[in-house]
Amino acid sequence: MTARELWWYGGGLLAVVYTLVPLYLLFKISVSPPTEALTPHPSFGLHTLTGEHWRLLLTSGTLWPPLGKSVAVALWTMLGAVGIATPAAYVLARLPQTWKYGCILALFASRMVPEVGIALPVAVQFLRWGLVDTQLGLVLAHLVKVLPLVAWILVGTFETIPVELEEAAQVDGCHRLAVLRRVVFPLAAPGVAVAALFAWLESWNEFTYALYLSLTENTLPLQTYYYVTRGSWFDAATYAIFLTVPVLVVTAGLQRYLKAGYLAGAVKG
Amino acid sequence: MRRFFQRYTLHGVMVLPLFLYLLAFTGLPLLSCLMLSFTDAVSRVFPSWNNYLALFRLGQFRVALWNTLWLTGVGVSLEVLAGLGVALVLHRVVLGRTVVRTIVLTPLGVPTIVTGVMFMYLFGSTGYTNELLYRLGVLDTPVDWLMGDWRTFGVLLLAELWKVTPVVTLIMLAGLESIPESALEAAAVDGAGGWSRFWYVTLPLLRPALTMAVVIRAIDAFRIFELPLMLTGKNLPVLGTFAYSEYYDYNNPFTSAAAASLLLVIIALGIGGYLLVMVRRQEEIA
Repeated sequence: MTARELWWYGGGLLAVVYTLVPLYLLFKISVSPPTEALTPHPSFGLHTLTGEHWRLLLTSGTLWPPLGKSVAVALWTMLGAVGIATPAAYVLARLPQTWKYGCILALFASRMVPEVGIALPVAVQFLRWGLVDTQLGLVLAHLVKVLPLVAWILVGTFETIPVELEEAAQVDGCHRLAVLRRVVFPLAAPGVAVAALFAWLESWNEFTYALYLSLTENTLPLQTYYYVTRGSWFDAATYAIFLTVPVLVVTAGLQRYLKAGYLAGAVKG
Repeated sequence: MRRFFQRYTLHGVMVLPLFLYLLAFTGLPLLSCLMLSFTDAVSRVFPSWNNYLALFRLGQFRVALWNTLWLTGVGVSLEVLAGLGVALVLHRVVLGRTVVRTIVLTPLGVPTIVTGVMFMYLFGSTGYTNELLYRLGVLDTPVDWLMGDWRTFGVLLLAELWKVTPVVTLIMLAGLESIPESALEAAAVDGAGGWSRFWYVTLPLLRPALTMAVVIRAIDAFRIFELPLMLTGKNLPVLGTFAYSEYYDYNNPFTSAAAASLLLVIIALGIGGYLLVMVRRQEEIA
């Protein structure tokens, strides 16, 4: 191995260690007794293991309401986003080039808007309408974030389906709606599935809108934040891991489709 | 005309829900945010500059503004450098590439809120950084990393770096893969060493990817919210957390709206300005 190669491997090792250390500590704290973690001199290794924090997570009863809300909101957001964005994306994909790019740019721009600017008037309005602390209210807010992304992914999907196929079906006597139902949408199904998973992920992770629109009924990210503000390290660790595992699994499944563009506005501090 | 409607009614019906939704839940709230920001908090007179004047009199706001600008400037530079570095490593390293790739991309699958939790463990006053420095004999008394000075700034940068570098890495990997091997070979034949090949061939060809990375990252960096809220709270406010606390803690939607509107203007100006400079430079080269 040459000196230069060693530098490359050294850099790679540094990146790997930097990525893994926080993850390891999160896991370690979730299985460590308080004498090992919340002291002036915490230990680094896994000495005594305890399942106490995990038992508490599952039995204390504070997990189920936020979990239920998170799951329901993410599912409805996913369904709503796919239902609204799929037909629209089809039309956008069939527009002339300049119009199409204009629309995509508009969708992209709507994801650049600061959430604190949208969440504020939405929260004020929803307070009047009694939509704060409801699943419907949060789904409506999450769609703001998710719709442009889903539409954008789906425009890319529909672009790959040749117009000639539709024309052929129409020549064979298929009605325009039937063309969509029998030819276009089945071909787009894998793309729709990918877009749906992205929608689910975004809603499951979402924090800012949930913070503005929840007073007592927390979602999972809010519940995690609540334990952080209370300084309960162990609850924060178990909730954080519980929140992360589905995300890790879905992201790993989507790795082939992870385009940096999709992540714009999705991965931020 | 009738034929036109017959032909495009279906299409219209299909697009309409999306655009109505975005109009109602993005367009209108934005408008209402701007209107709020120009409405006097006491007399409800519109239009009025009072909220903005009040903001600039608040020390906390000026601090938040500077923090946001600095975090974006320094943060995005560091992230692009780190992402480029990691992408180059992944491009060169043969042994165990898949493993390294999988590991360095994991933060994509970790929610930001969880990143905050992990960095709290690392930099809390009984956290692991203090313990490590103590064991190495560097420190005797624990440092309070999160009280709001330059160290807090550094902690925020590290946490953001952990979470978002993989995005830049993905962009850079795509950029690197689009560079034809032949260009590098030609440069090598002409006697260019490794460093000058990188500087004069790879880097110029990566320019579109670099521009994209800076734009995508800057948009999100200006809007940083969760990490400062979790890690530093009011000790190190940014525009996002400032706007939140004006509304939530002080029940003042007017100044909150003004801060959010300013953030929007900063994002638009920052991104627009950057793109303008890049386009002009591109034209000079061409």
